[in-house]
Amino acid sequence: MLNLWMRTSALISLLVVVVMLGFLLQQSWPYWQHDGLNPLLSGDWYPYEHLFGLAAAIIGSFWAALIALAIAIPTGLAAAVMSTEILPGPWRSLMRSGMELLAGIPSVVYGLLGLWILLPLLQSNLHLLTGHNLLAAGLLLSVMVLPTIMVMTQDALCEVSSHQRDTAASLGMGWSARLWRVLLPQAWPGIRSGILLALGRALGETMAVMLVVGSMDRIPDPWYNLLAPAQTLTSRIGREIGESAFGSMHFSALMACGLLLALITITISMLAHIRSDKISVNRP
Amino acid sequence: MNERCAKTLTIMLALPALLLPAACLLYILFKGIPALDWAMLSGSSQDAAFGSISALWPQITGSLLLMLGACLLAAPVALGGTLFYALAANIRQRKALLGIMHLLVGIPPIVYGLCGLIVLVHMLHWGISLLTGMVILAVIILPMLLMNSVNAIKRIPSEKTAAARALGLSNGQLIRRVWLPAAWPALMTGLLLGMARALSETAPILFTATVFSGVSWPDSLFSPVTSLQTHLFYLAQEGANAEAVDIAWASAVILIILVTALSFGASALRNIRMNG
Amino acid sequence: MQRISYFILAAVFLGAQAHDAAAVTLHAAGSTTVLPVVSTAAAAYHRQHPDVTITVSGGGSGVGIASMIQHTADIGMASREIDAEEAAKLNGKVDVLTIAKDAVAVVVSKAVYVGGVHQLSLRQIADIYRGKIKNWETLGGPDAQILVIDKEASRGTRHVFAEAVLGDAHARAPGASVISGSNNEEQALVAHSDQAIGMLSNAWLNDDVRGIAVGEGNKAIFPDIGHVRDSSYPISRSLHILLSKKGPPEAREFANFLLSPQGQAIVKKSGYLPVR
Repeated sequence: MLNLWMRTSALISLLVVVVMLGFLLQQSWPYWQHDGLNPLLSGDWYPYEHLFGLAAAIIGSFWAALIALAIAIPTGLAAAVMSTEILPGPWRSLMRSGMELLAGIPSVVYGLLGLWILLPLLQSNLHLLTGHNLLAAGLLLSVMVLPTIMVMTQDALCEVSSHQRDTAASLGMGWSARLWRVLLPQAWPGIRSGILLALGRALGETMAVMLVVGSMDRIPDPWYNLLAPAQTLTSRIGREIGESAFGSMHFSALMACGLLLALITITISMLAHIRSDKISVNRP
Repeated sequence: MNERCAKTLTIMLALPALLLPAACLLYILFKGIPALDWAMLSGSSQDAAFGSISALWPQITGSLLLMLGACLLAAPVALGGTLFYALAANIRQRKALLGIMHLLVGIPPIVYGLCGLIVLVHMLHWGISLLTGMVILAVIILPMLLMNSVNAIKRIPSEKTAAARALGLSNGQLIRRVWLPAAWPALMTGLLLGMARALSETAPILFTATVFSGVSWPDSLFSPVTSLQTHLFYLAQEGANAEAVDIAWASAVILIILVTALSFGASALRNIRMNG
Repeated sequence: MQRISYFILAAVFLGAQAHDAAAVTLHAAGSTTVLPVVSTAAAAYHRQHPDVTITVSGGGSGVGIASMIQHTADIGMASREIDAEEAAKLNGKVDVLTIAKDAVAVVVSKAVYVGGVHQLSLRQIADIYRGKIKNWETLGGPDAQILVIDKEASRGTRHVFAEAVLGDAHARAPGASVISGSNNEEQALVAHSDQAIGMLSNAWLNDDVRGIAVGEGNKAIFPDIGHVRDSSYPISRSLHILLSKKGPPEAREFANFLLSPQGQAIVKKSGYLPVR
């Protein structure tokens, strides 16, 4: 009885992965079969003309995630360093609780904050036609992934042994030299995992992005133009999934977006996992 | 001097991380609390026309039902998987199980939603329903529950297990008499965090489990529900309707209170574990 | 532990089932233009027939028609005609009932209206959406860039508007600056900008979101119900509900209710033109 339950549970966990990827592939198959990998290069997405180019959404997804990381990495690292290396103990847990609070806010609430605070601010301060753009999505995502980076970095810094800290101090290294030459390099594998997890989260975030990104299927022009409405993979799925009939090419194309998203994020989380595996092996 | 410079710079950079949690929370409370009391008390969603939605009770019920269902479905599987890991698996199987869990954690929730849409809504003909939402959310929280309980079992000192074995306890007795008493706070912590997660996911249930209005209590597991998360999403877009936006903020407050209560419960249990 | 959780699951299930054996839940989905009427009517109908509950969700006409094809709803709502591809999939299994008529208004932000733009010809509107006119000054308004709001491709309002203005329901609009979804979302976008143009059902007009007259010179027509009634407004349309021929009889009764004097009063109150 116990045995049956254990084995069934383990089997279910395995089946979930197989079933998920299998059905995504099966449902998106007509799409890949129809156009091969060409749509990855085209930005034209017009379901009624049977044009399903994914480039605009892929570029949008990566831009938004990159903006998010560009802001969240320095801030998150600084916050973690500050909490472990500058502030006394009680403050450390307070900052951590703050981050856990931030991490616990549901993404749709971030969407609400973005829609009502961020967009009007961007629109009036940058004199834009509309605040709906990649920058808004990136800023919002940076707040959402900040806790991941901060908490993972904090853990990694705490794990640097006091022995190494003492050695560095006895060598007469100053605070910043210790930080740059000893602490951060030692903690790097953990920090790197944190950054990769944050990247995966940013690429897969749906609700908040969908509300602020503008949903325009257009490749940014010029390529660094982040102040125009754009599209991400997740917001495309969220916006159009309801209206595409099961079995149609449109549905298939949206499933292809999902499959692509799954494959990208799986790769990223595997990279993060392999990294963290190595640390635990190397640790005495 | 150089050191002070570096420290000041670090603090400047870290400032957003210090201020943002407080700022976000205060702003949401500031907007939501004034709208809270009458949003909770007046009318019912059946009586309300579009745009003048009040009384969030049906939404709260829906969210809680989805959350409870997800936990009841995921917890046995997570526990079973953990026991498999601890009792039956060889090293390769253990690695594979944890690898799969890491893989599942990385997949964005909306992808789970898509798979649920294909398999549960269309292929099994469950339709847009409470049960579909429960199963999808259960799969989403499964990896975090399983990894958490594996860690909890790993943290039990191996001497305890060895002693129990030496006394000739069977697997079942070992689990009931030794592991569960030692690990229950950690298991409950994981469960509470899983509940908080299930409560805050929106995208995967948006097109598989919920509708805009008309539900006060679902007739069966195969009826759709309304939920706080998706309601908030619809109302957030009604910028021209001040009342709807107020209720959106009120929903945000309720949602955050529920999620925070669960996380506080989790950290309280974590402290029991550390002290005990 | 396990036994308890299954017990609770069973209790939840039975609790849900025990509600009322004779109760029927119908699900309506689709056009956000039709939604206010159906939502209000559903509440009124539920008061008269407590055993029938009607859940309502939006998503747009495309969703309404798709959910009839996929049998995920009992009542579809559409603010446009079914196109050829959809008709092929529906294969004559669905009845289309017209419950109201309305105007697709060309709306501008208050500042633009006050700044002097009270009417535009179809050609001027087309030029705006094709990206040939980019500033309100060209059209006698304030010196401000035009925020051109387009809608998601499957939305009924989009089809009707594009057909009347651009000549094809699926025409691309290269001049568009942002895409919106529901009527509420579009209304909010227009209200929060002071240089926007968009398309909305006449029922969504208010002080911040002004409908302008469409046509040449002194033959321009304002989008109000009177001009829908005498068919002089160029972008008017019918609002439909879709019923599966093999669907539950309760859905048909609800449709009859929508066409009854009481239902048509709700149509009128919602800002549309009753058909009976």
